Amino acid sequence: MSKTGAAERAASALQPLAPPADTSPPDTVGMAPAVSRLDASDDDFFIPDFCATRMVFAVVLVAELLAVTLSLARPTADFLTELARVSMFLQWLGLTSAAVLCYARRGLKRLSVARSSLAVFGLLAVNTAVISELALWFETGFDYATVGAVLAPSASWPFLLRNIGICVIVTALLLRYFFVTHQWHTHVHAEARSRIQALQARIRPHFLFNSMNTIAALTRSDPARAEEAVEDLADLFRATLRDSHSPLRLKEELELTRIYQRIEVLRLGDRLKVTWNVAELPMRALVPGLTVQPLLENAIYHGIEPLPDGGTVTVAGRVVNGEIEIVVTNPVALDGAVSERSGNRLALDNIRQRLALAYGARGSLNVEQQPEQYRVTIRFPFSE
Amino acid sequence: MSAGLSVLIVDDELPARERLQRLVSEVPGCAVAGVCANGPDALALVHKLDPAVVLLDIRMPGMTGIEVARHLGALESPPAIVFTTAYDEYALEAFEAQAVGYLLKPVRRERLEVALKHASRLSAAQLHRLNTPEQPIAARQHVAVRVRDELKLIPLKSIRYFEADQKYVTVRHTGGEDLLDEPLKQLEEEFARDFARAHRSVLVAIAHIEALERVGEDNYALRLRGEAEPLAVSRRQVAELRRRLQKA
Repeated sequence: MSKTGAAERAASALQPLAPPADTSPPDTVGMAPAVSRLDASDDDFFIPDFCATRMVFAVVLVAELLAVTLSLARPTADFLTELARVSMFLQWLGLTSAAVLCYARRGLKRLSVARSSLAVFGLLAVNTAVISELALWFETGFDYATVGAVLAPSASWPFLLRNIGICVIVTALLLRYFFVTHQWHTHVHAEARSRIQALQARIRPHFLFNSMNTIAALTRSDPARAEEAVEDLADLFRATLRDSHSPLRLKEELELTRIYQRIEVLRLGDRLKVTWNVAELPMRALVPGLTVQPLLENAIYHGIEPLPDGGTVTVAGRVVNGEIEIVVTNPVALDGAVSERSGNRLALDNIRQRLALAYGARGSLNVEQQPEQYRVTIRFPFSE
Repeated sequence: MSAGLSVLIVDDELPARERLQRLVSEVPGCAVAGVCANGPDALALVHKLDPAVVLLDIRMPGMTGIEVARHLGALESPPAIVFTTAYDEYALEAFEAQAVGYLLKPVRRERLEVALKHASRLSAAQLHRLNTPEQPIAARQHVAVRVRDELKLIPLKSIRYFEADQKYVTVRHTGGEDLLDEPLKQLEEEFARDFARAHRSVLVAIAHIEALERVGEDNYALRLRGEAEPLAVSRRQVAELRRRLQKA
């Protein structure tokens, strides 16, 4: 078979990666924290890396803009000379500040946002004072009088204080800018990640391909049922691809769950039985889309499929104090190895998040794990 | 293709079995020798029917296809194994189990043909080499022993201890005693999570230990649930056993 050559090659290519003993198969959840940790180690600090060429260039640019601003603000006859003087001073100030931040960044990283900001203010103010003193030296040349002035810098106080004042204001603006930009970046990252997770939680490849296989089998042996299965699958995926934030009537959500059940029964036959106990529920109530169906999917994937003789999943619903409560219970294989698989948590976290998003603290998802039973309960307020 | 390549189909889902059955019977020179829905049945049928190829689903309840393949690999003249699965998250493990091929469901007719043709060309020696994993990656849930001429599966959970003799390893389990043809060292590595050395030639199941007792001056012995005779413990292993027992 042509695949075998590829298979052997793949196997040998994977050899160095092959773990020594009891390493579980690669799972998506395991990857996620690793990725975020990678992010965190590098970029989870709001003050950018001033050692980078790009940042040094930005510093030069900002210093020059500031020089132009200050020179324009000062009523002098010779603008260009003034600009040259101020530029010279500000470029020195800017580059030394960048150098200070470049070295201090690693230490600052360990502090909280407030503390590291204070430290930055302190470092840059000291740097400004030192550079200002040096500038004074150059302006007046080296004579004993100036050395005296430096040692007892009362003569340069006004100049020093003015510079430190400007430094503090500019630093404050920049820090605020860095902080807001960083927050925005973090937010965009988190959103992208949660979208991917949501998609993975909603379309379980295992289910998709097994359903395809079932349909392929039925196409010949029972075309009518194959047709029905394709229709069911289409309905289910349409629901999956819909915006998950727009709510559904409970009736529609339960209908989708039954459609899903129908597809799984084709595949699992007698092994899957579902007991519905939802007559008490108000069918016009609103629910976030895909909250009940994934619970049944989980119960089947982790509960029924690993059991050689299958079992019964119970879906029960009732209204308690104006809150809707839906409980899905499934049997668990005594050897719980399979049910601990990570996909479970992913799907449940996803539903929990969506309930929290829609109802805040009033929406909840609880899991009870007993030796032979796994029970998930969701609660949310009744709204129409 | 040689005439009458016999194929055993193993899949826990009825539609999947039916489809493979139809596809195989449509491949010229191939015949379905048998069909079954789980691992233990598959092992029994292989013994009974001696098929040339086994089409083996990976995700099955009770015993996974990977484990079935490992038990089959221990046979003297093993069948060629072609894994079938709906989703390839298990690919790496399947290659480790050294299958002849790997088919994704829904299986394409041409790919099935190629896989069967390839399998039919392999000699017994090649198969033996292919089917014997160099390094087990996940611990089995059963141990297979040969009783007279049949393969008997002993669930790992029922095993109390392994004891190495000169040539064989005795498996002492809740249902009695059997001889196993695997080195103790390898068993120790594979089942390190649930078993520990009691002394040089005994590997004991932590879950079956009732107590670690002092005998005489400073000798120790293990009392096992359901065993009258205590197991001697070498002094070197006492600390380790105590640690494992506390953890359990």
